[in-house]
Amino acid sequence: MLKPILMLALMWGIMPSFAADSAEVRPDLVKPRASLPIQLIKVPAPNPGEYFIPPYVADIPEDKYGAVVEWGRKIFTDTQTYGKRFVGNGLNCSSCHLSEGREPFSGPIWAAYPSYPDYRTKTRNVVTYEERVQDCFKYSLDGIAPTIDAPEMEALVAYSHWLSTGAPTNTHLPGRGFGSVKKPQEAQAERGKDTYMSHCSQCHGTDGLGKKHPDGRYMFPPLWGKDSFNRAAGMTKAKTMAQFIRANMPLGAPFSLSEQEAWDIAMYIWIQDRPYDPRKSLFVNMFIPVTPGQH
Amino acid sequence: MRVMSAKKLNKTLIFIVLIALLGLAWWAYQTLQQRPESVDEAALSAGEQLAAKGREGVLGCQTCHGAKGEGNFAAGFPRLAGLNRDYILKQLQDFARDPLQTRAHIEPIARDYERTPAIYEDLTVYSAGTRTDAIMNGIAKVLTIEEMQQLGLYYSLLPFTATPVAADVQTLERGAELALRGKPEYKMPRCTACHGPKGAGFGAHFPPLAGQPPAYLIKQINLWQSGARDNDHLSLMKNISNLLTDADKANVAAYFANLSYQVNEE
Repeated sequence: MLKPILMLALMWGIMPSFAADSAEVRPDLVKPRASLPIQLIKVPAPNPGEYFIPPYVADIPEDKYGAVVEWGRKIFTDTQTYGKRFVGNGLNCSSCHLSEGREPFSGPIWAAYPSYPDYRTKTRNVVTYEERVQDCFKYSLDGIAPTIDAPEMEALVAYSHWLSTGAPTNTHLPGRGFGSVKKPQEAQAERGKDTYMSHCSQCHGTDGLGKKHPDGRYMFPPLWGKDSFNRAAGMTKAKTMAQFIRANMPLGAPFSLSEQEAWDIAMYIWIQDRPYDPRKSLFVNMFIPVTPGQH
Repeated sequence: MRVMSAKKLNKTLIFIVLIALLGLAWWAYQTLQQRPESVDEAALSAGEQLAAKGREGVLGCQTCHGAKGEGNFAAGFPRLAGLNRDYILKQLQDFARDPLQTRAHIEPIARDYERTPAIYEDLTVYSAGTRTDAIMNGIAKVLTIEEMQQLGLYYSLLPFTATPVAADVQTLERGAELALRGKPEYKMPRCTACHGPKGAGFGAHFPPLAGQPPAYLIKQINLWQSGARDNDHLSLMKNISNLLTDADKANVAAYFANLSYQVNEE
C-alpha cells in the first residue's frame, strides 16, 4: 500500500506550482544600491549613424519578390502562426532578433546574411546562410529544420536578402551579433537570482516562464521551461546570454546592467531546466553534465 | 488466456482507482482555477458612487473623465474605462505620494555617449514612483487606499469602444514604424513590445495606448522628459521618452488613435 502513496507524493512534486506573481512593489526597492562610485565602465552605446540602416517596410516592392519578402517578414515576426510546422516551442524569430531583425547588437539580419557562407565553430565546417537558419529552427526554436527548398525557408532568405539591401558582402559590419562582454572573476547564480528578480521578473515572470496573452501566445518569451530554446541553442551558452542581456535587456535601457550583473543573470538562467539537446541521447542528456560554455 | 491472480488484480485495481482520483482532482483544480472571479458588489457600488458624486474634498471622477470613464478627447483627459484595476490603484498611489518623500533619483546613463564615455556604474539610486499633476495630486492625497481600490474595480469593469480618428497616410506610416519597429538604430524598442499588440495594454504595468486621447499620450511623454512623471519600472519609459522627437510623439499618438479598440463588451 506504500507504493501508491509514494507515487502520489512524487507526482505532487513534479506538478507545476501555481504561485501567483507577487503584488506590485517596485521590485528595485527590495535591494536599493547606493554605494560609492568606484567602478568606471565604458558604455559601448549605439551611436546612430554608425550602424547600417535597412530599408523600411513601407518600401517593400509591390511585385512577386515583394510578396515573398512580406511573407518572410510574417514568418520572422510571427513564427508561431506562419512557421508553426517547424517550431517546437513558444518562441518567434523576433524574440531574439529584436525589431524584426533590424536592431544592432541583437543578431541583426542585415549583418548576418551578407557574411555567409562562413566557417562555423559549432559544427566545424563552412555553412551557408540556409544551413545556419536550419540550426536556428533545430536548436533555438526546438523544432525541425525546414529543407533548403521549403517555401518558408525561401521566404525567410528573401526577407533577409531584402533587409540587407545595400549592405557590403563578407565584412564584419558594426553591430553584428550581440557585442562583447568580458567574463568577470566569478559569475554567481545566487547573485544573479537577486538581479533577475528586480530587473527581469516583471516581464518574464518570477518563474521565468514568460507571460502569455489570453489567446495562449507569448507576450514576453519564456527564458526556460518547455516553451524555451533547448540546451543546444547558442543562447544556452552563458557567454552569449550575457552578451544579449547586456546589449538589449531590459527593453528600453540597453547597456544599463554591468558586465558582472549580466553574467550573473546568465548563470542563473543557465542552471534552469530546458528542453534536451536533440543531438544527444536521452541518457547523455539526463546524466552527463555540461559546462556553461558548451552548447 | 492468462488469468490474473486475485491479489494482483486487486493491486492493479487500486492503482487504477488512484490514478483516476488523481485525474479527477486535477480536473477539479483546473475548473476551479478557470472560474471567473466573483465581483465584490459592495466595493463596486461604492466605487460607482465615488466616481459619480465624489465626497467631501474629492471631485467626482466623472467631472473630467466622462460619464462612463470614456475620457475627454478634446481636453486630453484620459480614458479610465477598462483599464487594469491594479494600474489605476498604482497611479492613484503615485499621485498621492509627495515627491519630497522619495529618495533622490540619479540618471545612471549619461545621454551624450560620445562626450562622456565613462559613467559611474554603481551610482544607481531608485525612487518610489511619483506623478505630478495640478488636479490629481490634490484629489489623490485625500483618498484612502480602500477608495482607490474601489475606483480601480469600478473603472476596470466599464465597457469602452474607441472611435478611430482619421489621419493622413504619411503620419500613420511613420507612426506605425515607431509603434511596430521602434528606432532600432537608437536601440529604442517598439511600443507594442510591452503595451501589447495593437496597443491594447498588458497586465498591471503596461497600460493600453489605443483608445486614449492623443493629447494625453503626448502630454505624458513630455512629463517623462521633464521628470514630472517618474513612476516607471527601472526608468524604462523615461529612457524611451528621451529618444522621442516632437514629430515622433505626434505620429505615434495619431497611429494609436487611429486603431479600433474595444474592451469589456456591452
